Amino acid sequence: MPVTRQLVLPVHRTVPWGAVGAAGAAGLLLAALTRTGETAERLSLYLLRAAILAFAVGLAFLLDDPARHTTAAVPTPRPVRVALRVALAVPAAAAWWTVALLLVPQGARPPVGDITLEAGAAFVLAVAGAAAAVRFSEVARPGPPVSGGLLATAVLALLFWPGRWALFVPVEDERWAAAHDRWAVVLAGAVVFGAVCAVEPVRRRIRF
Amino acid sequence: MTPTVSASGLSLRYGGTRALDDVSLRLTAGVTGLLGPNGAGKTTLLRVLATALPADRGTFTVLGHDPATARGRQEVRRRLGYLPQTPGFHPDFTAFEFVDYVAILKEMTDRGVRHREVRRVLDEAGLADVRGKRIRKLSGGMRQRVALGAALVGDPGFLVLDEPTVGLDPEQRMRFRELIAGAGEGRTVLLSTHQTEDVAMLCHRVLVMAGGRVRFEGTPAELTARAAGRVWSSAERDPGAKAGWRTGTGSFRNLGDPPAGADLLEPTLEDGYLLTLDGAGAEVAA
Repeated sequence: MPVTRQLVLPVHRTVPWGAVGAAGAAGLLLAALTRTGETAERLSLYLLRAAILAFAVGLAFLLDDPARHTTAAVPTPRPVRVALRVALAVPAAAAWWTVALLLVPQGARPPVGDITLEAGAAFVLAVAGAAAAVRFSEVARPGPPVSGGLLATAVLALLFWPGRWALFVPVEDERWAAAHDRWAVVLAGAVVFGAVCAVEPVRRRIRF
Repeated sequence: MTPTVSASGLSLRYGGTRALDDVSLRLTAGVTGLLGPNGAGKTTLLRVLATALPADRGTFTVLGHDPATARGRQEVRRRLGYLPQTPGFHPDFTAFEFVDYVAILKEMTDRGVRHREVRRVLDEAGLADVRGKRIRKLSGGMRQRVALGAALVGDPGFLVLDEPTVGLDPEQRMRFRELIAGAGEGRTVLLSTHQTEDVAMLCHRVLVMAGGRVRFEGTPAELTARAAGRVWSSAERDPGAKAGWRTGTGSFRNLGDPPAGADLLEPTLEDGYLLTLDGAGAEVAA
């Protein structure tokens, strides 16, 4: 615990807040577009989802660590550092999300609990993707490839995701509740996947 | 002498390539050099021994601890300093802040003791005057010394250095040799390098790797002796030589099996290394 406490400040300085902040600002701009007229208000759900995606893209940079290889053989385990970065990002993400929601006019705001579930799943997916990139590659800055992958996945999912497993449905769609059951599964899966990826393996799979 | 590091049958594959093939070794106190061409498996071996990369097969211990379990790996890391081939930094940190950060990661929790230790290693690395300078403003050689300072912090018993002198000018390289020689007093250092002069000047033992295997293990003198009677001078390049090059004096220095009556030369460590690689089927630069 003393190590974790003493790591808070230096780890805070290693977080790429610039990338997270820029993505957050872009997301808030998208959310603010819902205040620009009636048409925009009607599109509030889609603009809010675009805002979520923008911020998730920023969170994909959360585990970027140029000193990864220099600090590869220290006794403080990697999951401690990952958990610290995530813990530092959670208040920022919560504050950002609150502002994003408040920017949407009250009458046009989608059900807050459900859309928050979507946001949570997207944010955790982004960080889990970064953890997977660190776990399965030598990359020190997983942000660029993971954010690109996240954008591509979002576009492909919008275009090709099967209707019977729909995730991106409008509020008035009868599949809204079922879709959010699926979002809960996505969130839980992303949490487990991210946690597994954050751990450093002591053995490799034998390939002989 | 009790070995600091004892490895047996280490093997690792990347796709279809055997990066390590049944490597066994014992390292004792002092500086051991690791020579080999690009792709020989040097960096992979160093990363495995530094616990940065698990092997597919084989076992090893560092100072009596087995890194095959999470607890064992942590014990090894408590006794280890590692300088990777291309060290990365947080460029907005000062040299002091970065080494201090690594010291916290090495579980040095007493702030006073830690700061004294950070100052000690930065002094040792010749960075006392620039310890408050941001890393982004330091030269490549100074950054390399910051990375060495980070590896040395906490006084580890086993130090793994992956090509620390690459890209340094001769003066910086000499400074680094002094640092490594100092680091090798009382601890075990494994030094990967392409510079045979580094090995000749610093190391009490040398390993030569090629194709993921250890092809030679012995003293620098024993490696040099491998070329005894196999280096000769001639006016033209000898077509029977394994390798040959024109020297500054205009004559050719040839390696291989000399013809009868050849003008034999005193071999160097590099000659022994090149002939060992040739024996291992690796390409010998001519």
